[in-house]
Amino acid sequence: MASLSFSLAPKAIYQLHDALTCLAKFDDNVAFEAEIDLLRLSVLNLTKTAYSAFVFEADSFFETYSFSRGRGGSSSRAARPDKFSCQMLIKALLSAFKGKSSGRDKDTSVERCEVELQENLDESECRLVIRLICGLGVIKLYKLMYEPVHVQHAIFDRSKITNEWSIEPKYLKEITDHFGPSAEQLDIYSEHGKAVFTSFTMKSSDGKEILRQPIHTSVAIDKRDFDYYLAEDHLHVAIHMKDFKAAIAHAETANTMITARFTRPCRPLQFAYDFEGIRSEFTLMTRGESSGDDAPDSSRAAPVQLSARQTPAPVQISQRSTTSEMKQMPPPRSRSIRPLTGTSTRASQSNTETQRPPPSIESDSLFVPADDDRQWDVPNEEDEGQAEDELGWDATGDQTSIGPGLRDIEPKMAQPTAEEEDEMGIPPTQRMSQLHGLGLFD
Amino acid sequence: MRFRTQLSNASVFSKLTASLSSLGKVCWMRLEQGFIRFTIIPDQGTQVWAQLPVDSIFEEDSYILESNTGVINLEVPIGSLHRALRSAVAAKFTNLRLTKKGNVPLLALTIRATSWTTGNNALGIPDTSNSTSTTDPSPTTAVSTSTTTDRSTGPRERETVITQEIPVKVLHESAVEGLHQPRCRDPDVNILLPSLLQLKNISERFTKLATESKSTTTTSTTTTSSSPSPKLELSATMHGSLRMSIGTDAFRISSTWTDLLNPSLDPGQLAQGELEQLPSERMRGIPEDEEAAWARVRIDGKDWSRILSVGRLNPRVVASFIHETALVLYVFLPGSWNEEDSCLTYYLNSYAVE
Repeated sequence: MASLSFSLAPKAIYQLHDALTCLAKFDDNVAFEAEIDLLRLSVLNLTKTAYSAFVFEADSFFETYSFSRGRGGSSSRAARPDKFSCQMLIKALLSAFKGKSSGRDKDTSVERCEVELQENLDESECRLVIRLICGLGVIKLYKLMYEPVHVQHAIFDRSKITNEWSIEPKYLKEITDHFGPSAEQLDIYSEHGKAVFTSFTMKSSDGKEILRQPIHTSVAIDKRDFDYYLAEDHLHVAIHMKDFKAAIAHAETANTMITARFTRPCRPLQFAYDFEGIRSEFTLMTRGESSGDDAPDSSRAAPVQLSARQTPAPVQISQRSTTSEMKQMPPPRSRSIRPLTGTSTRASQSNTETQRPPPSIESDSLFVPADDDRQWDVPNEEDEGQAEDELGWDATGDQTSIGPGLRDIEPKMAQPTAEEEDEMGIPPTQRMSQLHGLGLFD
Repeated sequence: MRFRTQLSNASVFSKLTASLSSLGKVCWMRLEQGFIRFTIIPDQGTQVWAQLPVDSIFEEDSYILESNTGVINLEVPIGSLHRALRSAVAAKFTNLRLTKKGNVPLLALTIRATSWTTGNNALGIPDTSNSTSTTDPSPTTAVSTSTTTDRSTGPRERETVITQEIPVKVLHESAVEGLHQPRCRDPDVNILLPSLLQLKNISERFTKLATESKSTTTTSTTTTSSSPSPKLELSATMHGSLRMSIGTDAFRISSTWTDLLNPSLDPGQLAQGELEQLPSERMRGIPEDEEAAWARVRIDGKDWSRILSVGRLNPRVVASFIHETALVLYVFLPGSWNEEDSCLTYYLNSYAVE
């Protein structure tokens, strides 16, 4: 039976809340792991293309921290005897570790937080008890249920990386501000002393709906804006915009440099940063072409990458190299693996965190000073979020004016998507040894 | 076919597209030698026809337009264009051009934005005790071709280059020649509107009140799902009065403005006799306390609020009332250029009394 208890200062509670907010962008459940000297919260998304983990150091993050793994029974549950792991709903934790209390109830703001694990093997319900000690003697008590799990981690070998850069997250934030809310993917490469970030969306485009195609945005910043930039020029790696935004949004709150490490396209890329006893890492699967020599125009990124799937060459390369790397790596733990479906399932997810403009007029005052441009926006526009891309009206009623050209594009965009699925969609019966080079876990 | 220009006033362009995008999703953009026109004709609701001289938003010297007909007609997703222009508002240099990727024509914006780094070390003394916890890059990185940056930490100017590519359709002249501005009879009342922000806030309050009272009264009997938005009644006289009102079963409220200006038409354009025969001149002769002095239209509250979003451009707006038929708004943009040349015209149909 494991025993775990720790306590947190208010600042640490907020930091924990920030981390949970960030993790919630990847999936609903968080894996909660306690070891002798650290607590780890991690999330692996459904499609297993993104993994995010926060490690809280026992001696620097917590006020007090104690963990011991007793004997008896529990070894059947946990993979390692020196570790306790379980899974919880992020929403539940978020409501417990609620962020900064509003100014109104300053008297009863949180002063301390104590967390204790009640693992009771005799009873069916095991709980994590969170006690928030607030001002004026108010105590808030949360008992959260958890479920024991085998936690999966993305393996990322930092010693093998060949490309690395580090930058203040605010610069990356500025870049994402230029992207439209519907941008799904982000391509990153460098050339001529510039690092170029390009958004694109892998939407199979219908020729009739040319105006529905998303804006294509690319933002180039000087390499000097980076703390250091040690990455090969013309090497395109593409990741999900949503994951990128989640990582930098949190890194910005941490007020620290964010470092990206990667080897090449179709291998994982990791964003990482450490601050105040917290180690954060985001391991994201990249897509792209193994040799990015002939894509000078960033705007061609999408078709180029798709075509890369059709040629078998890059795949072979990656398989060969993974087998050599395999020798040094621990064998994968036995677990049920979901088929890696690439991004085809993700593509249907709409970006829910669109930067929706706030409702135009908050105050009831009729005569507000004329300053803010947003006050001119139309209120209660339910469809405002979609408005950017959903276009319905055609002034001409004449679709054929540039019809032939559009038809040409249609198969180009649609076909690779289908083929990609064939190639990436591994049937569940496939042997483990064949999976390397495709996912995070090799 | 070639079109390329530099933006001279990205802020006005951005606000213009914002106002237009509230009325429709697709805009017909017509580029001519001296003028640019934006037209939105939604399936239902208000049409807007905007005409601006080139120099109001573009650098005239850099404006290059080449086409067989001397005109380029584009169908532009106006929301996307607005979104893209947001990046340009604070930039010092923005270039707009028509280009092509594969077979997709694009409007490409190239934006150069500059800013200053804060620089955590104003004196530029190199920080030798590098305490950041990042691990040293592995030896293999030495092979990579990229350059390390000098790690001076003093403030410096940094530049960001942003390109935004908006897919558009090029329209053949034959596709647009059938489109023309609505024609309507001479207006009964011309009046200069008061502050659009005030008007917008009041009309939104009215609409909200009417919507709420409607939904509370109808929930008991019928479903409220498809109840149309309430209709505002706008009326005006040639004696400088404007009234906005809304009524439901439960209440009726109105606001009245007085001492507004009734601009008169340029007498030079009309023959002597014509001016006196204009309906507006006839309306001027009717005393204000008579009902006949008021020209009245009924418009959709939500639609009206969308139109008033043009207020962000800080324009002068003349409203022309055609009694029980239509309301035409002439929106004149402020600025150094000739106001007469840059005008957005909104055409609203009046709803019949329910």
